Amino acid sequence: MELVLGMKDIYPKEARLRRHMTESLSRLFEQWGYEPVEPPTMEYAHVLEKIIGEEIKERLYQFVNREGKVVCLRPEFTTSVARMLSRGNPTLFPLRVYYAGRIFRYPSSPFHTESELTQIGVENIGSPSVQGDGEVIALAISSLKRVGVEEFRVDIGHVGIFRHLLTSLPLQEEAKQTVKRLVKQRDFVALQNFWEATNLTHHPVTHIFLRFPFLRGKREVLEEAETLFPHPEWHRTLHYLSELWTKLSDFGYEEYLTINLGLIRDFDYYSGVIWEGFSPHLGYPLLAGGRYDELFQILGKDLPACGFALFLERLVQVLKQPQGNIPEKIHLFYPSKGRREAFQLAEKLREQGYTVVIEEKEQSDFTFSTSKKTIRFFSVETEKIEELLKELRT
Amino acid sequence: MNQITIALPTGRLKEEALSLLTRMPHGSLLQFTSRQLVIEAKDSPWRILLVHPKDSATYVEFGAADLGIVGKDILLERENEIYELADLKIGRCVMVLASLKGVSKENLLERGHIRIATKYPNFTRHYLQESGMSADIIFLYGSVELAPNIGLADAIVDLVSTGKTLRENRLEVIEEIVPISGRLVANRISLKTKAEAIQRFVEGMKGVLQQ
Repeated sequence: MELVLGMKDIYPKEARLRRHMTESLSRLFEQWGYEPVEPPTMEYAHVLEKIIGEEIKERLYQFVNREGKVVCLRPEFTTSVARMLSRGNPTLFPLRVYYAGRIFRYPSSPFHTESELTQIGVENIGSPSVQGDGEVIALAISSLKRVGVEEFRVDIGHVGIFRHLLTSLPLQEEAKQTVKRLVKQRDFVALQNFWEATNLTHHPVTHIFLRFPFLRGKREVLEEAETLFPHPEWHRTLHYLSELWTKLSDFGYEEYLTINLGLIRDFDYYSGVIWEGFSPHLGYPLLAGGRYDELFQILGKDLPACGFALFLERLVQVLKQPQGNIPEKIHLFYPSKGRREAFQLAEKLREQGYTVVIEEKEQSDFTFSTSKKTIRFFSVETEKIEELLKELRT
Repeated sequence: MNQITIALPTGRLKEEALSLLTRMPHGSLLQFTSRQLVIEAKDSPWRILLVHPKDSATYVEFGAADLGIVGKDILLERENEIYELADLKIGRCVMVLASLKGVSKENLLERGHIRIATKYPNFTRHYLQESGMSADIIFLYGSVELAPNIGLADAIVDLVSTGKTLRENRLEVIEEIVPISGRLVANRISLKTKAEAIQRFVEGMKGVLQQ
């Protein structure tokens, strides 16, 4: 009777909350004109391997199928959605799609177990940069509002910030990969030691790297950053963020936003703006996303695209109180000789929107029972029933 | 929400960590009595949790503490998803591979399959992979130095500060793997939600370190 390591059973109370959130987010995405897609649970490993980063590759659930090919359970949705839309001839662009479902990853360290997670997210494929980013970030904020997360914030960064700094370092490619790894591990002590070992402590760029965790703020951070690093590409990136900021503050969302130039995301396929939503009541992000134009290039299409995913398990943790109406159940107990009438009555009531549980009992009469009241009755005439229901509600 | 919670390890880092904290601005506000596990003071911008040394990074990773002081040995073992912000240069020692006096790395490799006793099985596994050695790992909770002497293991992977315990148990360092010291770590989200308070703390701490 053992549960597979890393898997979790979800009982009614939490399952209902999860369903409620999935439904209200799906409704929100529909209201923004996004359409549902359902990628399969499994992909060929070689398809994913071209795209996903090293860290995730090591965490794939993979095995050999009957064809003798290596398949894996999807570790996230974006790659599968991109694969889906890059082949064949999918209709008109921009394409707005959303998804909801489980993903599978072995835990990042032997001290964690959780291996099955739920992502709900959107992809906007074909909208040019600022246009698409603005819409999708606004939708991310809307999602957190819709499910009722209090005091949430969204940090916006850009992978270009890090990439431009990295290219300008006087280092060999291998050493640059080390820098990248250390920043991804968020190990700023090792980074400082690395600068010392490579005699770069006084290089102007290394100071910016070490300030990464604190390069945050409202719009003024962008102005401050312009003076930090005289590099045309870096300035273009800052300008882009500034344009995006204007757009989102015109949408009225400035209060939720922070520019975070040191924002780091784990997926390698991000190529532009990246963002992360969080609450002060949880130590992990609630949602994450970004622009990934390069992903489609790898798949052989030239399409701009961006998207984000919400982590359902983490939303459940910040929203502890159950939401949504739990329907009041009516139990209908009936004697075996009244089986036919009882069943017809239950069906009729369900059509009217009631929740009715039927149970056969050794008794001579019928019983309506709710958590508050129990009423006995002897026949199922229509008028009589309506009276009884009225009585049941009072 | 501007108070920050700091996980402070008991054990070998405690005294030095406390000394750093009390030398910081606001540090003198806190009174450390012997049995209390949560230390708070009116007007103090900090709340201190006294936790097992192996746990402080876990408190930080899950957001139960915003900041933590933790040995690099624990970070290497647990691979917590946190920000490592500063080297506090306390509790300095070295993670080493050691064996009985006179045994070299070549000797070990000649034995073919060997056994290594350690309190750090995850770290040791990574170390063995990188160094291309093949060995069984024997996880022990303590007195690791005993293992080679009584034939439980061929070598050990453990922390060494003065080397006294090694010498007293007729052991010798074969290889220094990585230097270890106490680190200041931060939760990924706290760094955003309490950015200013954390930045002030880090700068205060760096000031103390430069004294």
